[in-house]
This record gives sequence, structure tokens and C-alpha cells, in this order.
Amino acid sequence: MSVIPNKKALNMRTNQYTLLLSALTISLWLTACDNKLNVTPVNTVATGQALTTPADLNALLIGAYDGVGGGNLYGGNLQRDGELLGDNGEVEWTGTFTAPREVFTKRLLVTNDQADITWTNAYRTINICNTVLANLNLALQANRPNVEGQAKFIRASMYFELVRFFARTWGDGDANTNPGVPLVITPTTVLDASSTVPRSSVAAVYAQIIKDLTEAEAKLPATDATYGFLAAKGAAAAMLSRVYLQKSDFPNAAGAANRVIAGGVYKLVGAGEVFDTRENINGINTAETIFAIQITDQDGTNNLNTFFGSTDVGGRGDINITDTHLALYTASDARSQLFYEDGDGQIRTLKYINQYGNIQVLRLAEMYLTRAEANFRAGTTLGATPLADINRIRARSEANPLTAAQLDLATILRERRLELAFEGTLIHDLKRTRRNAATLAFSSPRLIFPIPLREITTNPALGQNEGY
Amino acid sequence: MRNIFILLLVLWGISSLPANAQDRRVTGIVTSADDGKALPGVSVQVKGTTRGTQTDAAGNYSLALPVGANTLVFSFIGSATQEATIGNRSEISITLASDTRSLSEVVVTGYGVQSKRNLTGNIARVTARELENIPVPSVEQAIQGKVAGVQITSLNGKVGQGLQIRVRGNSSVSASSQPLYVIDGIPVTSQDQSSSTAPTNPIADLNPNDIESLEILKDASASAIYGSRASNGVVLITTKKGRAGKTVFEISGYTGSSQPTRLKEWLNTKQYVELFEEARANSVALGYITTTPTSLQNRFTRYAAGDRTGWEGANPKYDTDWQREAFQDAPSKQYDFSARGGDAKTRFFVSGQYFDQSGIIIKNRFRRLSGRVNLDHSATDKLTIGVNLNVAHTKNDRVSNDNAFSTPMQIVALPPLHPVIDPRTNELSSSYTLYYNPLLNRDFAALQTRVYRVFGNAYAEYKILPSLRFRTEFGTDLLTQQEEEYYGRETTRNTGAPNGQGTNGFAQVVNNTTNNYFSFGRTLAKNHDLDATVGMSYQESRSNVNSVTAQQFPSNAYKQIVSGAKVTGGTGTETRFSFLSYFARVNYRINNRYLLGVSGRIDGSSRFGTNNKYGIFPAASAGWILSEESFIKNIPVISLLKLRASYGLTGNAEIGNFGSLALYSAAAGYAGVPGQAPNQIANPDLTWEKTLQTDIGLEFGLLNNRLSGEIDYYVKNTTGLLLGVNVPGSSGFRTQLRNVGKMDNRGVEFVFNSSNLIGAFKWSTSLNIAYNTNKVTDLGGTTLNGSFLNRAQEGEPLGVFVGPEYAGVNAANGDAIYYLNTKKADGSRDRTTTNNYNAAEFVPLGNPSPKFIGGVTNTFSYKGIDLNVLFNGQFGNYIYNGGGKFQSANGDFFDNQTTDQLNRWRKPGDVTNVPQARLFGANGTGESSRYLSKGDFVRLRTITLGYSLPTALVNRAKLNRVRLYVTGQNLLTFTNYNGWDPEVNSDAYSGNAVNIGVDFYSAPQPRTIIGGLQIGF
Repeated sequence: MSVIPNKKALNMRTNQYTLLLSALTISLWLTACDNKLNVTPVNTVATGQALTTPADLNALLIGAYDGVGGGNLYGGNLQRDGELLGDNGEVEWTGTFTAPREVFTKRLLVTNDQADITWTNAYRTINICNTVLANLNLALQANRPNVEGQAKFIRASMYFELVRFFARTWGDGDANTNPGVPLVITPTTVLDASSTVPRSSVAAVYAQIIKDLTEAEAKLPATDATYGFLAAKGAAAAMLSRVYLQKSDFPNAAGAANRVIAGGVYKLVGAGEVFDTRENINGINTAETIFAIQITDQDGTNNLNTFFGSTDVGGRGDINITDTHLALYTASDARSQLFYEDGDGQIRTLKYINQYGNIQVLRLAEMYLTRAEANFRAGTTLGATPLADINRIRARSEANPLTAAQLDLATILRERRLELAFEGTLIHDLKRTRRNAATLAFSSPRLIFPIPLREITTNPALGQNEGY
Repeated sequence: MRNIFILLLVLWGISSLPANAQDRRVTGIVTSADDGKALPGVSVQVKGTTRGTQTDAAGNYSLALPVGANTLVFSFIGSATQEATIGNRSEISITLASDTRSLSEVVVTGYGVQSKRNLTGNIARVTARELENIPVPSVEQAIQGKVAGVQITSLNGKVGQGLQIRVRGNSSVSASSQPLYVIDGIPVTSQDQSSSTAPTNPIADLNPNDIESLEILKDASASAIYGSRASNGVVLITTKKGRAGKTVFEISGYTGSSQPTRLKEWLNTKQYVELFEEARANSVALGYITTTPTSLQNRFTRYAAGDRTGWEGANPKYDTDWQREAFQDAPSKQYDFSARGGDAKTRFFVSGQYFDQSGIIIKNRFRRLSGRVNLDHSATDKLTIGVNLNVAHTKNDRVSNDNAFSTPMQIVALPPLHPVIDPRTNELSSSYTLYYNPLLNRDFAALQTRVYRVFGNAYAEYKILPSLRFRTEFGTDLLTQQEEEYYGRETTRNTGAPNGQGTNGFAQVVNNTTNNYFSFGRTLAKNHDLDATVGMSYQESRSNVNSVTAQQFPSNAYKQIVSGAKVTGGTGTETRFSFLSYFARVNYRINNRYLLGVSGRIDGSSRFGTNNKYGIFPAASAGWILSEESFIKNIPVISLLKLRASYGLTGNAEIGNFGSLALYSAAAGYAGVPGQAPNQIANPDLTWEKTLQTDIGLEFGLLNNRLSGEIDYYVKNTTGLLLGVNVPGSSGFRTQLRNVGKMDNRGVEFVFNSSNLIGAFKWSTSLNIAYNTNKVTDLGGTTLNGSFLNRAQEGEPLGVFVGPEYAGVNAANGDAIYYLNTKKADGSRDRTTTNNYNAAEFVPLGNPSPKFIGGVTNTFSYKGIDLNVLFNGQFGNYIYNGGGKFQSANGDFFDNQTTDQLNRWRKPGDVTNVPQARLFGANGTGESSRYLSKGDFVRLRTITLGYSLPTALVNRAKLNRVRLYVTGQNLLTFTNYNGWDPEVNSDAYSGNAVNIGVDFYSAPQPRTIIGGLQIGF
């Protein structure tokens, strides 16, 4: 008998071994692979990991500044649209983007993509603030009021911009029944039926804004000790003065402006130093800056440079300044020198010549102008007389001082225009003072943004504005 | 996992049946019916078994026969498969006739091959001969019009760009609708890798001349084996393999050039001045603006480089045809080399190619240098090992996307008043032009994408039993891409960077795949044949993208980042995904006429939400070869009649890698301080999209297969469409990814092949027509807005154009008017008109996808002359010109206008479609059906005339084959579309699947003519 098994049996056995081996290979793969399906993202992180420490909360708060400083918000487009919508012939829009052109011609379509993106970016920023406010327990005890104050300042500022652009202005009809914007003050973690929020009344939105800003003013420190550019007490008070002024609540407007001035944190600087007239250099805040969006060559976009600046300074040269505007200045006024002629012979403002320059959202000069106007209209002299305040602003620009006889509401408003030209307050000032924008009355539906078509189709609880 | 073992056990049981004794041998020689020469590499198979061999270099074969073997099957690519009854013979020699009707050829299926005759699914096949030497960079363009139900759209006329491929319509809204590409068994990277919105095409790294066959798996039965990635169809590419026999060398080359297929007509200076003077006056009269005539004339003078005579008078000094400046001379050339041969043990195919095609638009060029080695080695009777390896280097000189001032085609917006060269500086007109002058990018900017690509696989196949094989494959696909951009200081107006800007981007995509599977095939009993495949696959993919941007370069001589004084931007990102899959397929054949198939795949993926980690994708199919039945077999005119039907489920897993998670992004820093913000809201239920597809097909062959064809009817019901559903903005988010939508595609495909004339003068025709309707049936109540008028809207086809319906011009006052189209109480629409754009209802205006697509190829040959003519076309679709509101806006803004704007309304009573010219008047410029047109076209896609020198002459020079040819691509286009080209979908918008049929300054397709030479020896 042979010890060698017969050939057929050997074949069979090799076959079985091979099969077994193959099966083994596969099963090895199976066990090795199963956990390979757990791939975690690295560019972005899961929410649970994102918010666990005080530093995480601080980063989220900075995310809110990044949001509010985006080009579509205080990074420039809110101010640009405030100027274009209110324009009375002082500028000319010559750019190709249709959305701002519709704003300039005051014929917005419901599809206006700026209205759409302003809306969603503002709410995105509000949601960040809401998330910060819902997670305040993460903040270090000592820092908690500061974090809360900053988040409320940003949230209130965004609601203020939304209600000004998308709703009838205060006093045009009944603010208690005029639809404002949806008021959301808690973070969104899931989307469900409760996410289709209807518009709150204009009055309700204002009430929330005032509540937030009042609390922010109370909780914020006098200055930002960490970076020097985050919102501090003065920013909340300054925004509050704007809100009250928009409501024509003059005593409160004067009071808020006065608190900023009296706080002594901010100082008027020389007329030529208010704006950063260097080129291509990272922006700086001045002593006059109450709150500014920080722009660097690494981060942020100065959209006021984009639209007002000539192509030589990194802009698109879309907005020309007309002679109508230049004629407003008197000869000695240093502010009349804040213009330049570009290569095409177009007149442009020097305020936005630095593409990496910071964007002044709130500055001290406005507080003097607000205090002057509010005192004038309320018949008070809180902090100073209106004449003193106006002349203080004129003096720093070497403009001739006004006499008491010259002082009236029109001069005060004219001074406000000269000082704050192209800084985004125009349409809102026209509306609150019941003046026309071009041929349109302050209450014209054409001066109110449409609720974006995207929102109308997504959220059936929203009603559209008149005229759209 | 447990199921797999059960399956393995079953297989093991079957294969352990006693093997049959091998006691007989048959030998013979196989020759070609065409020229009587021996055919090496012919597959000789014992029918119903996997027992088989190949003919050697001299065409000889020798095969041991199992007991009960009664038929041999001879098959060879490009030849009609023949069967021979063995009987008592020990020598069987046959001749194989070449066959283009492909009825009995072998087609590649996922993880295997199958005879077309026994197929129960729908697989379209294109072979090498139809793909070779077409002057396009990428193989998909070479099959345009050749496959029923497959729509291939070049986004625009830029060379080397991404393409849009749709198999049986769009089956997704926001996940990808592109098919899965599998090369030699390994899924490869086919997704756009561009850093701009203008996509690149990684499939262009493959030399089309390396391809032996390309199969498109269309129905569920064919594609379910690719499970969650099969809903958009699967493209299987098989590269050329070595063949035993004398080494065959081929060298070939061509050279030619391209021109734009079509130009548009633009105003000249006189017309421009006239139109805009009129537009100003009209707008002033209406109180829109206060611009004085002088102010406008000053603008003209400024435009005319400060020279009043530049625009004034009867013969203005400047009258630039800017459109012409966008185009360049566009040479193309290609050189190929290949060698193919081997012996019974080792077979090889090696090839190399240099391809160089310039785009018709300035600064656009695509070059590819590629090499391939495919090697198969039979180590023993049982073990075969091999590698397929492709190395390629492509260089693509690209231009900005269609929606950039710097892209060449936007040059048409410049007024003809601008001289090309500013006489004041003797340099290109720059700062004073209405828009940025794209010629500055031609001279002072560069954007080059260089790809280094290696893909290939190694395999081992072991024949465990004559009827059972195990194959293991490991494949890798390494894509390394460098994108280098430099914009000189002259381009400041466009970049905003005063002293130059450079960007260097680096992307690497690594895909590793392993497939391990058993194939089993045997005749179980008389008239019962079984084929089965079972196995697993694992794929992991990792992509890394980095880029750095710097500004402030001392001069344009310095272009690398190191020379930029300021690094202004940088990014580095990574993403990964993995798939773990098990698959199986069983085909059962009774009596050689009743066919049953079951296939399926279980897919697990890192992409799916925690609640849906694994998915099962089964399909079943059946076929009945009626022509085997006696009642038909006797009808001589019918050669083949087959009915087949399939039903199954596939998925679409292109849902993004981390779409299910709630995510924070740290791209929210501010002024150098780190920041973070929520950027995605969670959806743990997120899963693949599901498509249930039914296919019923009829295949026929008549008159000895001189007439043959296929008719298929299919219904694809897609559910769980991934949608970035619009959510109320007040939530802080714009969209949430959800599986909410439903969409249906249904259609009919018709393929017809005919040998009209045989003999010395041959003429054959191949026709395919496909009809498809697409309807989005559910979007969870929302509407997705694409660009311009594109929408995804319930009850309408994907991408439907929705907007105000333009009603023309009010003859009384020249106002653009729109139909109100508001719904009346009786349901009808109010057809009164309004001049208020906002008052007009948004209504569906047209479908961007064609109802019919098709192609017809006629092939003629006589002696050495061959002629091949391919027309293709599409019908029933609309195109929206997103640039219309700038290009044809009756003088709304200072963009140069198309000449049709001269037909504007001028006085009461004028009947025209062009409203009164109003500067800044927005008279009819809102997005509406005014800029919508029909997109039907028929195009002479490819025509090739070749001449092969007589064999006798060629042989005398020790050559095999010499062929001269000329090929024309896109020579003629028949269309009523008045834009540049009806084959369009602007690359600035195509990233969003809702955007279909958009024209936006999109370059026309090139019309290319080449002449070439092929030499074989």
C-alpha cells in the first residue's frame, strides 16, 4: 500500500484548501473592514465636539463677529444698500450686479438676491448668537456677562437691520400691527414645524432689540481688554441711540448717545484720520471708533471698497459720486477733501480707499450728531447744547461754526449727512425724518425690501410686503 | 457576513461534486473568413462549462474534453461567435466571420463576462473600433450619439472640461447624476477636481485608444451588482489585453485644427452709438435718468480711448469685432504607439500616446502623455496573474469659468468703440474699458492644471475546479493634481491684487479597492446551466486639497509663491469615504432558452447616517429566447427573438461624505482670532437615494442577423432623493439635507442595426433613438431654485424653466409686457398682459432636458475605402440664455448688444419683440421667457473617410496595414437656436444638478478637421 494518497483525492484536498484559504481571506477582510466604515470628518467637527469648553464658546462668539462682518452684512452691503436705496442723486450706480442696481433704481424684484442673502446671513448670525446665549454655562464665571453682552449686541444689531430693511418704518402706520420680521431667540438644533416662524410685529421686534441692547450695555465692560476691537459698553449704547432715534424716541436717543460720550472712552480724531486712507494695509481702529468690522489681507472683505473704490485700489468702481453731493460742502470743510478722481475721471470717496481698511460701523461723531438732534427735537440739552455738539463736529473739520440762528432741524440733518456720507445711514435717516428718497415718499413700498421669494416659498407663515 | 458563509458553503458543496475524467482531446486551427489568415487569441470553450483555451499565434488550439462535451464555442472580439458540434471528431477547424452586429459577442458585466445572447439585462457596448482616433480628449465624447439612452453634453467649447453624462435621464437632484466609472474592475475617480466652478474631467486621463470595450450598464439587473452606486448607470471600461501570437505593432498619428462652430452677430460702432443715444433719450423722457447727451457722448469718447473721432460720424475710427478676439487658431495632433502580442503563457499590450489639442478660445489647451502596460501570465494551468497599469500626465491650460469677466467669451460685452490697443499707451486697452478686458488674461495670466495619474490593478485568478474560479484584485487609482495660477499686475482690475497674484493648489485623491470573488459556471444537468458569482469588495478613498495664494510680486518674471511678498490665503482640507460591499449573481439557463438571473449587493458606507449604515440592492431578471422554440426556429427569416425583463433596486451614494452629521466649521475666524460656527444641521436618517427600475426588452435578429435590434421600455422610480431642502432662513440655516424627493424617469430605447449592402460594396446603418420623460413627483413641498429660471418643482421635469412669460412689446408705448398668468376661478390662466414684471405669475415655461436623443451611423466600405458618418441630435428641450439680459437688453446697460436689438420698438404702432431702448430702464430685462429658446439640434458629429492601401503593396514594405484618413468633428449643425451652440450647459452653473440647459457666455463647440495615418507591422 502506498503512502501517497491517490491523485484524485489530493486534487480534492488542494481544492478544498484553496477554497478554505479564499474564504479565510475574505473573512479576514470582513472583520478588518467593518470598523473602516467609521470615518469622521476632519475639516469640520461634529457639534458635540465643538462646544465643550470656555474656549469653544469664545470661538463660537468670534464666529458671530465673522458672521456680522461678512460682506453681505456690516462688511459693506448693508451700508451700500442704505445709501443706494436712499439716494437723491448724490451717487450713480454704474455697476453690473443687478441686485444693487435694483436697490439704486428703487425697483426691487422679489428675486433680488441681495435681499435673499441679507436675510439668511443675518439670521445665520442671529442663530450663532442664540447658540452662544444658550450655552453661557460654558463660559468662565467672570467672563459670562461679557460674552452674553456681546452676543446680545450682535443679535440686536441684526434684528435692527432686518426690521429697518424688510418692514415699514416706525411710525408709518401702527408698529403694533405692521409685520416686522420673524423673532427667533433660541438656537435651532432640529428643524420641525416650529421652525416656520411668522413675522412678529414691528413693535415686538423693536422691543426685543431694546431689551437686548439694554442688557448688553449693562453687562459689557467699558473696553474690550482682550483684543480691543470686540463690542464694549459703548457699542451697545451707541446702537441703542440709533434704535431710539429710529423710533423718534428723542429723550432716550439723547440719553444713550450721551452715555457713550460721557463715558470718555472714545475721542474725536482729526478729520483726515477718521478713515483709513492708506492702501492695501491691514485696517486699524482709531480713538473715535466705537465698533468697526476688522479687515485684514487674510480675512474679511471690505465691500465698501469693492463698490465705492476705483479699480486702482482694488474696487469695482461701481458707485460714482456726483456733483450734487460735492456741492453740499462749504469751502473750508475738510470733509470736502475726502474725494479723489480715478483714472476714468470719476469722483470717488476716500473713505474706502483701503481694501483692507476696517469698516466703521459706529463712531463717536455720530453720537454728537444724534445727541444734538435728539436734544434739539426734545427741547433738552442733555450733556451739551445742540449747537455745541454740531459745532464740535464742524470744528474738527475746519468748517465754519454755525450760529444759534442758523441752527434748525434741516442744518442738523445736513450736518449728519456730510459727516456720515456713504456710511449707510441715508435711507434710514430719510425714513425717520419723513423725507423723500428721490421722488418716492418715505413710506413708499418701493423703499422696503421684499421678503425674499425663497423665504416666501419655504415658510408659508410669512406674508409678503406691500407692492411685491 | 453570515450569509456569505452560507453561500460559500453552498458553492463549496456544488464544486465538490466529482470532477469528470479527461480522456479526449480535440485540436484545430481558427482562421479569419475575411482574409483566410490564422486568428490568434480566439477563445475556444466547451459549451456549458468553463473549460476552454485560446488559440496560439498560429491559430492552433488543443483542448481536453470533459465527458459529455458536445459543442465547442469559438469567440473572438469583433467576430461572430460560432458553435461547432464535436461528435466524434478530433479535429475541428473553423473560420470566423467578422461581425459588427454583435448579437453573440461577449459583454463585460460587473465582476465577470457574459454572452450577449444570454443576457437578461440591458448593457450597451461600444468597441475599440468606434472609439479610436476621434479628435476629442475624453472617451465619453467619443461615444456621443452612439449609445441609446445615454446623453453626453459638453458644457461648452473649452477643451479638457468636465462633461455631463446622463444614463436614462436625470435620476438625482442634488446628489451626482453622473455614472460610476469602473476601469478593469476598479472604480476610479471621475468627479470634478477643479478649484473653480468650471469642472475638470478625470476620465480624460485615460487614452481612448487603449480601450477594448466600453459597456454601459443601464437597467437594474445589469447594474444592481454595483448596488448603492448604480442608479446613474455604470460605465465599465475594459482596456486592451495582450493576445498570443506574433507581436503586432501599430503607430499612428493625426494633425488638424479647430474653429468655432458658430458665431453671434454684434453691433458695430455706428449701430451701438445710435442705439444708446436713443436709449438715453427715451429714459430721460420717462424720467428714469437725467443723463445729458453730452454726458453720454463723453462716455463714448472715454470708451473710444479719449478720441471723439473714435465713435463719431459715418466712419468711426474704432469698430472692434471683440468676438473674434476671443478665439485663437486651434491646432490639434496625436501620436500613438502600441504593441500587442505574447505566447500561450504570457500576453502583453503596451501603448503610449501624446495628445495635444488647443481649444478654440484663447489660452485653452489640453495635452496628455500616457502609457499603458497590460500583462497576463498563466503561471500554471490553474493560476493566472496579471497587471494593468496606466500612467498619464495631462496638462490643461484653462480659462476662468463662464461667469467671470476674465473668461474669453465675456469679451463680447465690450463696446465696439474700444480699440484693442489703446493708442495712448500702445498697450492692450485696460482701465477704461467698460469691463475688464479678457485679453489681459491672455497676455498676463495663466491657469494650468497638471494631473499625474496612475491607475491600475494586479490580479490573480485561480481555477479551483474546472467550473470554479477565485479571483482577487487589488486596484489603486492615484490622482495628483497641481493647479497653478498666476495673474500679473496688469490684471489688477480683475483680481484686485495690485502687484500680481499667484495661487498654487495641490490635490491628491487616492482610491484603493480590492475585489475578491468566486465565479462558478457549469452545466448541472442536461439543459441546465448555472453561472454564479459571489464575493466582496472594499474601497477606501481619501482626498487632500491644499492651496496657497500670494500677492505682491516684484514683476511678472516671478510667478511662484516664494516670490510673493505677502501670502494672503491658504487652505488645506481632507475628506474620506469607504465602502464595504458583498455581491452575488446567479444566472440559470434552461434548455438554452429560458434565462433567469438574480443579482444583488449589500453596501455599507461611511457616508450613510448612523440609522442606515448598510443597504441591500437586489435585482431579478428573466429572458426567453423565443427563436430557440420550435414554432419560431422554423421561420427562416428570424435569426433571433428574445424577450427579457428585469426589476431591481439600485442606489445613489453620491450624497457627500458627511452629509448626515451636525457640523461646526472653523472657517469662521475673525481678524486672526479663531472662530467657529454651525454649518450643517444633522440628519441621522440620511441615506442613499433609491431607484427601482423595471425594464422590458425585446431583441431581434432577422435575415441571418442582417437586421437586428433591441427595443427597451423602462421605468425608473427614484425615491429618497437627497435634497438640500430650503428651510426658513430664520432658523439660521438655508438648507438641510434630506431624503425627501421622488422622481420618475420612463422611456423607450430603440436600437436598430442593418447591413444594407454586403459584398464588395458594404453599407451598414446603426440607429439609436431614446425617448425619456422625467418628472419630479415630490420635493417635500419645497421648490429648489437653480440659476436664472431653473427649478426643481413638483410635477415638472427636473430643471424646468419657471418664470414670467414674456408677451412681447406693447405696440403703443414700447413697454416689455408679460402675461399675468394668474389662476382664474375656473382654473384657466389670465392671459391679460402687464408691464409690471412683479405682477406676472411664475409659470413653467419649458423643459431643459430633451424628449428624444439619438444618433445614426452609416458605414460604407469599398475595397480599401471606408466612410463613416455619424449624426446625432436631441429634440424637445429648451435653453435659457442667462446672458440675455446683458447681451440682448435693448440698450439697458452699456454692454454691446446683439444685432437683433436693432429691431427695437421706436414709435407707436411698431410691432416687434424687442422693447423700446431705455438706458437703465430695465425694460424687459428681468429673467423671463424672453431669453428662452428651443434647443433642438442635429449635428454631423463625426465623419471619417479612410483609405487602406492594398495589402499586396503594404506587404511588400513589410507592413501589415497602412491607412490614411480624414475626420471631421461637428462639421454641420442644424438648429434654430440663436445662441452660439445648442450643446451647452454653462460651467459656471453646472455644479448644481438643477441647472440644465443654461447658456451663459458659453463658448461654442469646436469644429475640428484632422488628417491621420495608421501603420501596422
